[in-house]
Amino acid sequence: MSRINCEEALAHLHDYLKRELTPELVVEVRQHLERCRHCFTHAQFEESFFEKLKNCGQRETCPEKLRTRILDALRAEARDT
Amino acid sequence: MAEPAEAGRSFDDEALPHLDALYRVALRLTGDPSQAEDLVQDTMLKAYRSWRQYRPGTNAKGWLLTILRNTFINDYRRRKHEPIAMDLEAAEPHALYRSIEESDPEGAFFSQIVDAKVLEAIDALPADFREVLVLSDIEGMRYGEIAETLQIPVGTVKSRLFRARHQLQAQLYAHAVEMGYIQARESRT
Repeated sequence: MSRINCEEALAHLHDYLKRELTPELVVEVRQHLERCRHCFTHAQFEESFFEKLKNCGQRETCPEKLRTRILDALRAEARDT
Repeated sequence: MAEPAEAGRSFDDEALPHLDALYRVALRLTGDPSQAEDLVQDTMLKAYRSWRQYRPGTNAKGWLLTILRNTFINDYRRRKHEPIAMDLEAAEPHALYRSIEESDPEGAFFSQIVDAKVLEAIDALPADFREVLVLSDIEGMRYGEIAETLQIPVGTVKSRLFRARHQLQAQLYAHAVEMGYIQARESRT
């Protein structure tokens, strides 16, 4: 099995972190990160980025008044049909 | 209230749990809370009316987001001023990381940036980039689900994501430098 280099590992980095790679590529990238400190650190950087995105977005929720408005609209719709 | 679907799951059971996600995506698409509210309500009513077309057990969130997106494109998009797409395709993909890695190789500065600033930076992305980034990196949808929702090939989802993420990172980096969370490479003495 040919080992992937830094450039190839970095090209797959996002997809690796998002678990979108084939099992074969997952092994390739994981093994590369285990032996390359530079790419390993780069992966941590990308992970910090993804972590921030996930956290900042998920805190917003549907306002209660909108939820009520929608339920009322659905009820009115159900009555009319 | 809403009639049960064939398989016994009601519209309420299937659709209401996704209100938070719909609202978040609507906010990012419209960039305006009151338009986002209208968009979510329009989406829910349309979904309710076409509830019979929904196959129980399939991806309800994807189905609702498809309706939301189509409604946005048809009824809302022209109301909003869209940022011009910056073409970063030619840019060297790892140039940004190379300028950061000396001062903050693990990206600790990301966690220092306030959430509102990140959302503002996302809102400043071109619409096509913003859409895939929100669905993938905030809502956690798989690339395949996004491709299906947006009716584009998976390869297009991936290339847009790549560019969206790099553009966003560049903006957040600039902000972090401005705020003093991180030292710019040039300013180091």
